[in-house]
Amino acid sequence: MRRRGHLLPTVVMVAALSLAAAACSSSKPKAESPSTGGGSTAGATTGSNTGTGKQIVMGTTDKVISLDPAGAYDMGSWTLQWNIYQALLKIKPGTSDIENDAASKCDWTDNTTYTCTLNPGLVFSNGDPLDANAVKYSIDRVIKINDPNGPSSLLSSLDNVSVSGTDTVVFKLKSPNSVFPYILTTGAGNIVDPKVFPADKLLADDQVIGSGVYTLSSFTKDQQAVLKPNKSYKGSDVLANSGFIVHYEQTASTLKLDVEQGNVDVAWRSLSPTDVASLQKETDKVKVVTGNGIEIRYLVFNTSLAPANNVAVRQAVAYSIDRDSIAKNVYNGTVQPLYSMVPQGLAGANTAYKDLYGATPDPDKAKSVLAAAGVKTPVDITLWWTPSHYGAVSGDEYTEIKRELESTGLFKVTLQDAEWDTYSKAYPADQYAAFQLGWFPDYPDADDYLAPFYLQGGFYKNHYDNPQIDQLITQEEGETDPTKRASQIDQIQTLAAKDVPTIPIWQGNQVAATGLTVTGVDKTFDPSYTFRMWLIGKS
Amino acid sequence: MAKSSGSLRQYALTRLALVIPMVLILLTLVFILMRVAPGDPIQAALGAKLSPAQLAEKRHAAGFDKPMLVQYVEYLRQVVTFNFGRAITDNQPITTILRVNGAATLELTVSALIVALAIGVPIGLRAGRLRDGAFDGFGRLFGIVTYAAPVFFVGLLFQLVFSKWLDWLPNSGQLNPIDQAELPTHTNLTVIDAIWDHNGAAFTDSLKHLAMPAITLGLLLSGVVIRLIRTNIIQTLKGDYVEAARARGVPERKVVMRHAFRNALVPVVTVMGLQVALLLSGAVLTEETFNWPGIGNRLVSYLSNRDYVAVQGIITVFALAVVVISLLIDFVNAAIDPRVRY
Repeated sequence: MRRRGHLLPTVVMVAALSLAAAACSSSKPKAESPSTGGGSTAGATTGSNTGTGKQIVMGTTDKVISLDPAGAYDMGSWTLQWNIYQALLKIKPGTSDIENDAASKCDWTDNTTYTCTLNPGLVFSNGDPLDANAVKYSIDRVIKINDPNGPSSLLSSLDNVSVSGTDTVVFKLKSPNSVFPYILTTGAGNIVDPKVFPADKLLADDQVIGSGVYTLSSFTKDQQAVLKPNKSYKGSDVLANSGFIVHYEQTASTLKLDVEQGNVDVAWRSLSPTDVASLQKETDKVKVVTGNGIEIRYLVFNTSLAPANNVAVRQAVAYSIDRDSIAKNVYNGTVQPLYSMVPQGLAGANTAYKDLYGATPDPDKAKSVLAAAGVKTPVDITLWWTPSHYGAVSGDEYTEIKRELESTGLFKVTLQDAEWDTYSKAYPADQYAAFQLGWFPDYPDADDYLAPFYLQGGFYKNHYDNPQIDQLITQEEGETDPTKRASQIDQIQTLAAKDVPTIPIWQGNQVAATGLTVTGVDKTFDPSYTFRMWLIGKS
Repeated sequence: MAKSSGSLRQYALTRLALVIPMVLILLTLVFILMRVAPGDPIQAALGAKLSPAQLAEKRHAAGFDKPMLVQYVEYLRQVVTFNFGRAITDNQPITTILRVNGAATLELTVSALIVALAIGVPIGLRAGRLRDGAFDGFGRLFGIVTYAAPVFFVGLLFQLVFSKWLDWLPNSGQLNPIDQAELPTHTNLTVIDAIWDHNGAAFTDSLKHLAMPAITLGLLLSGVVIRLIRTNIIQTLKGDYVEAARARGVPERKVVMRHAFRNALVPVVTVMGLQVALLLSGAVLTEETFNWPGIGNRLVSYLSNRDYVAVQGIITVFALAVVVISLLIDFVNAAIDPRVRY
């Protein structure tokens, strides 16, 4: 007997009933959606940190490497960490100044001993006490774990950490280092619960806890992080919202679409210059907030590889670069020309490259420098750049640099690119004579733009070694007199500009696009790049 | 005269036995492919960040300094015990990645399959019936274009039209951020979880988010379905039994739907099973385009970071999934068609 197929109609009926059931069922009270713009005020204000105001959704293309302080040294990870953990010290919003966080006071007892006293009664979000032992434990495990992605290198000046009682921590340094307090404001200084975080390995991201303004309610890697107010928080920061969701986007274009459509309240890192220019015109949907930034881009010369091993060639390139054109035509004004490796806004920054090589290209001087050195022109030079690590605009930037150099008639430029994974292994291995790099601050101090670049060839191993600069760096790190220190920093920049081991190109503004009713983003923009989620509100 | 059902059992057992060497060959190929590049996974993923001594330590801890044969046996042992290790770059267990992100890929690929069948079957059927007519021409052209068009390009076009210009559908993701944060996870399938939670708004939102990726990927496969159905319909309509049905006065619609179509479906089932590999590879690009949180998305990320341990684990699972689905398709085929048996 022929069997009739009953399966398909049955499936259709079940599906239809399911749809009907879903449509007719009562939904859970939905949390306020960014696109509706309205909604009730969530959370009472009776607790110490319950948060008032609305939930904020932020979109970003940054990625999280690790939420364990010992496992991350990147912007995406630190952005969350700054809001989950406390450190002894933090950066005052809108400034480069240090203020207390978990500590009630910190001071130098001698030039290599830094002592901090904790605020009383601090606890982690699970109720465990935050005491001096927790601080020591946190610092020690960063050094011990020494994760390849972690910030242990920031603690290289530290000799040991000891405790005195339950509320005093003593840091003993190997040598005088006046910027050490800044180190304590970085991710390396975040304080963790010894009962939760293992001493010798990283904790899974979704299990981290801290004592900061928020607790991590949930975390799905590369998708979303949900932060809720930490009811146990004891500190000076006041919440302007009832919670924060960080939504991780794949591309700048989808991030732009989401903020235009109201799917996210804030779009931060990284919108392309074209996106920013487009969003600036959509004043009926979004507003673009900018703030001074100290992110920089620069060109590095490997001083052991031809033609970059000739200082005359390097100086001729310095005479030929048109930073204004790059800022205006490539980046639509979202960056500023940079004339020193130390960006403007940091104490001690000067404009050494402008003073020596001019603000605009000078082909005549470039030509005479090369002629005086007997260099035959056009000089064949290969410039390397990387397509995705610093944004897709890098290609346009280096095409413009190529055009600028070749327009002098003195250079024949070949552009080459490699993806970051290959690139990051090749440039410190003497494979590129001239290459693109960028830098974000670890902390907002000029030393962070000097020591990593000039000591022992810099982290990029370009073989530039100037003993006078090395000595000045050691001096400025130990110098406590601000005036003397500023002078030492000034000298370093000027000496380096003469030798041109690098050419600073631009300094970036911080840019975010927000919904029209969002507030507080401008308050968190400062040289530390700390995105203080608690300042963001929505009216 | 039909064979007895014992023959089906024999077929199933034989087919199951053949899976073992098939899987072994696949796993060996995956193992070799992940090691043909110079260096080792630790060097590839962390080489720029660690000193030689640290690299050697990590290499030893991961077993990459052991003889290749020992590594191979260890790899097979891990696969058999469903322990695919941890990613080097973010220390995540591969099984966790598969559980959380695998559900999203399953949701996408099943939806894409439904779309492919919903589009491909009617078009293929009509094109086959109206052979050489205008609709047939359209159907064939449609099938070629949808198959040939790069899936990421189609996805970007859809985002431009339906998200940017028309603002009908969300441009990326699986759910809006609020619902994603608040919807309890039961199955990691957002549509199912929304139904489970009686959350109509989340259900609607999840369908809206699923629409573009599913249609993008489904269109890729629909081209295959259209051509398959069309070809098989044409063949079956030439059959003697179809002529006999027509001669008996059976209406043409019944001739096509009841006689020709069902027989035309048999080879389609087989081929569709093989297209799972196409679906999975298309899913990688689709997930990347729409930021869909599936395994393909994570695979691209791990590939970018040269995390070969994670890549090996994910590809192994992909390969095993294709084997299992091919096996199931063979069983279905054997059940439908008694001629397909040993």
